[in-house]
Amino acid sequence: MSSYKKTRIEALAKRLRAGDPRALGRALTVVESGGDDALALTEALAGAFGEAHIVGFTGPPGAGKSTLLNALIHEWRREGRPVAVLAVDPVSPVSGGAVLGDRTRMGAHSLDDGVFIRSVSARGHLGGLCEAAHDMADIMDAAGWPLILIETVGAGQSETEITQVADLSVVISAPGLGDELQAIKAGILEIGDLLVVNKADRDDADETAKHLEAMLSLRSGAKRNISVLRVSATTGRGVSRLKDEINQLLETTGVAVGADRKRKRDARKLRLAVLRFASRISAGIPDEDFGSMRPEEFDRAIERSLAFLSTEIDD
Amino acid sequence: MAYPERVLVTKIGFDGHDRGSRVVAAYLRDAGMEVIYTPPWQEIKTVVKLAMQEDVDVVGVSSLATDHLIMPDLIAALRDADMDHVRLVVGGIIPQNEQPELMDAGVSAIFGPGATSEEIVETVRQLAVEARAARETAEVA
Amino acid sequence: MSKKASNTNAATLKDKQAEWKVRYDKEIGQDRTVINRSGIEVRPLYTPLDWSDSRYGEDLGMPGELPYTRGIYNTMHRGRTWTQRQLIGLGTPQDYNERVRMMLQQGASAISLIPCNSSFRGIDCDESPLPLLGTCGTVINTVDHMDAALDDVPIGEISTAMNDPTPFTLFAFLLSVAKRRGVPFDKITGTANQSDYISHFVANHMFYRLSQPGARRVFVDHVKFCREHVPNWNPVSVVGQHMQQAGATPAETMGLTLSTAIQYADDCIESGMDPDNFLPRFTFFFDISISFFEEVAKFRAGRRIWAKIVRERYGAKDPRSWRFKFHGQTSGVDLTQQQPLNNIARVAAQAIAGIFGGLQSMHTDGFDEAMACPTEDAARIAVATQNILREEAHLCDVIDPLGGSYYVESLTNEMEEKIFQVMDTIENAGGMYNAVDAGIVQRMIGKSALEYQSRIETGAEKVVGVNCYQSEVEDREVDTYRPSRDAMEAQVTAFKAFKAARKQADVDRALDELARAANGSENVYQKVVGAADNGVTHGEIIACLRRELGFGHPLMVA
Repeated sequence: MSSYKKTRIEALAKRLRAGDPRALGRALTVVESGGDDALALTEALAGAFGEAHIVGFTGPPGAGKSTLLNALIHEWRREGRPVAVLAVDPVSPVSGGAVLGDRTRMGAHSLDDGVFIRSVSARGHLGGLCEAAHDMADIMDAAGWPLILIETVGAGQSETEITQVADLSVVISAPGLGDELQAIKAGILEIGDLLVVNKADRDDADETAKHLEAMLSLRSGAKRNISVLRVSATTGRGVSRLKDEINQLLETTGVAVGADRKRKRDARKLRLAVLRFASRISAGIPDEDFGSMRPEEFDRAIERSLAFLSTEIDD
Repeated sequence: MAYPERVLVTKIGFDGHDRGSRVVAAYLRDAGMEVIYTPPWQEIKTVVKLAMQEDVDVVGVSSLATDHLIMPDLIAALRDADMDHVRLVVGGIIPQNEQPELMDAGVSAIFGPGATSEEIVETVRQLAVEARAARETAEVA
Repeated sequence: MSKKASNTNAATLKDKQAEWKVRYDKEIGQDRTVINRSGIEVRPLYTPLDWSDSRYGEDLGMPGELPYTRGIYNTMHRGRTWTQRQLIGLGTPQDYNERVRMMLQQGASAISLIPCNSSFRGIDCDESPLPLLGTCGTVINTVDHMDAALDDVPIGEISTAMNDPTPFTLFAFLLSVAKRRGVPFDKITGTANQSDYISHFVANHMFYRLSQPGARRVFVDHVKFCREHVPNWNPVSVVGQHMQQAGATPAETMGLTLSTAIQYADDCIESGMDPDNFLPRFTFFFDISISFFEEVAKFRAGRRIWAKIVRERYGAKDPRSWRFKFHGQTSGVDLTQQQPLNNIARVAAQAIAGIFGGLQSMHTDGFDEAMACPTEDAARIAVATQNILREEAHLCDVIDPLGGSYYVESLTNEMEEKIFQVMDTIENAGGMYNAVDAGIVQRMIGKSALEYQSRIETGAEKVVGVNCYQSEVEDREVDTYRPSRDAMEAQVTAFKAFKAARKQADVDRALDELARAANGSENVYQKVVGAADNGVTHGEIIACLRRELGFGHPLMVA
């Protein structure tokens, strides 16, 4: 990388650490786009990651996630806690473009300096949506945002994988969405640390909650004992309690989460790098990242990947 | 283009009719762009914030009645926030005699009812390139 | 139709038509397929094979009785012409007053008031950017403003329409003015145009007024209040105009509007009201596009369907409940900025469709509607258009003149089918609120809007002066209306002075009562009216209700 470019990236990193919102917007684009600049920026910000809590929200379309998120943000803001949000919108399968309108449901916070919302389209990110979201969350982390919410549509596999980026996953369901079994098939329930039934004011909400509780009992292990909370995002009922539950879960796993997440984060990055690397080799596609890598870097990347793979096997 | 054009489509002022801006948002999406779409009635400071958070290249403002009269306020606000690399377009109904003033104030293009989807997409694409170049220049300075 | 014609042997007719078709095909060569805006194919010829008057009794009946296809009243326009209710809204209350008096002189028989956009946003003039005040409506924030706007206008004798969504502050100001002038409430006639917050939500985005549950509450309280205290006022106007302007096809519009009306009727019933109490005061408000026959068919079908619904779904027994009363406004969406004087012709065509559709009152647009608030000239021509159609073209002389037309009756039936399809979609979604929540309505409208725009771009849909018959000659510059800056500044200054001079104790108490009602079970609208009496401003009333009942949330569907 030219020194000119490097200087620009370092200047951006500096402004980011200083809390410049414009820099954050810029930095998010840089890492989302991947490539040299992204790598350089990540390097420049090394050591600044790992402070924030990341909470993932997913669930079938129509469950009212955005509205619930909006209400939750209100609650956290009342506590004085700054919140950053990544709102993932589906992409047009035809053109690859997207109309990102999810954040409008959180529009009430648009003038609050303690809230930062960024829209992400589920487009063909290098390495997948998961990695892009991960990188973007890291950037928000480095910029000093202590709480980062990631909201996804939860309609497909890649969206549910986003929750791997998070310390805590909240799965939001609602009555009347059709086949609950569908949700199970998509693996949504498997990943939840907290299950929420929104639109609790509806008559059939209880039934939905019981249904979910029954399914949970079929799980094995620790994830059996998670709560199913009933909320109504539009009336506010139960939202404060949900916020408290989330806060508590983040707290109790707090210390472990911090260090554990750092490790998980690094492992994930490596895994994704290896997968990307492997697929490129096999597809014979020249990749600009790897094209510009120096041989030593290349070797080191291979070594790290192999080392990581062997630790995984040992586990 | 390293990544898709990012365009904010919005309405400032008081009018709520957004049929046109929805159609344009769809055109831009179908052309592969990422469109951040807002409801009408956005305050100017909100638009500036959105432009910043979403790191947009172009801001498209839809104005059918008289809301274009406060475009200069938006332009000034973007400048104050160091966001004047962002290119501005206005679409809708703007009286002929009020257009030169808008362009002088800093609007890059005005689309009337006869504008085709092609024209709009091409212009926005071009302006996104300009915006990114302008930003780079500004960053170096 | 003569007896001879109605006894035509169907087989012979079929042969004759087949013969004609052969001749037709030969001559026309490559025929074009014509599909109207609602997606119905329009053929070159209609005969008794498509609709014959053996169906007269079932499909048409007489005016003033079920199924009401030919009109809701026995005499229709021949007995009483449609109300010429021109929408007026500009500048300061004084500007409004000047214009409304001119219009009444020119032949308007009723008035309509549309407030400044800042008002729709929910704020007062001292909170708005000055250049945006009074450009699209009149600034009315207090009872004094309303008084000035209606100076010398006999509100006890003329029907007024207030274009104001929940919480209907304009109407509250009107009632305060009535009190001041000693006009008893039962003399106040007119309609709460724009009371339909669902249509605002999906097509005009005025949801920032109040949250949906809040709007619902105030809407019902308003209906109850009016039924009790202002019996000759129509508190409900279900608005099809917004959806059609946003891109819904005429059939979709009618379907969505009727579904919305059903939702409101359900809400009223849930609150304990008797259908025959409120249904006679349910009215509708539609756009009239230039797709001439489609509009006529749309209205006739709508009339027939509504009569069916109120009887079957609500068991309404009073014939007044069965009547589909509607106001039509010529569609501004069909008007062009290019060659604006052409719009005079367009408006005339739209108006005729509305008249043949059997509307009860009408607003015709000024030719400069696409650009701005109408200038005096444009407003005058708009009213003259209606006068000409009535006096010179004699359009009032025959009731439902297109009735019995093979085309129009076939089309009416086909439109009815399409309308029912839309209503079924909404019903299956669980009603209008649910359909809106799920984005079904917004997507439907957006899809149609995009399709229509594509047709314009490809030239499949022709618009004179825009994609055909463009003029090389420079369009003559049309004066655009802008309120006097000085007058507006003076208005804002006077408004601030008004607030300073009020009895603050009265204001505070009125707002407390309003807040208390919002949190309890008292009639909220009663307190809105009380607040208006005590000098509370539009913005203050709305701020209070937003606080207590919730701010509206945007619902965005890409």
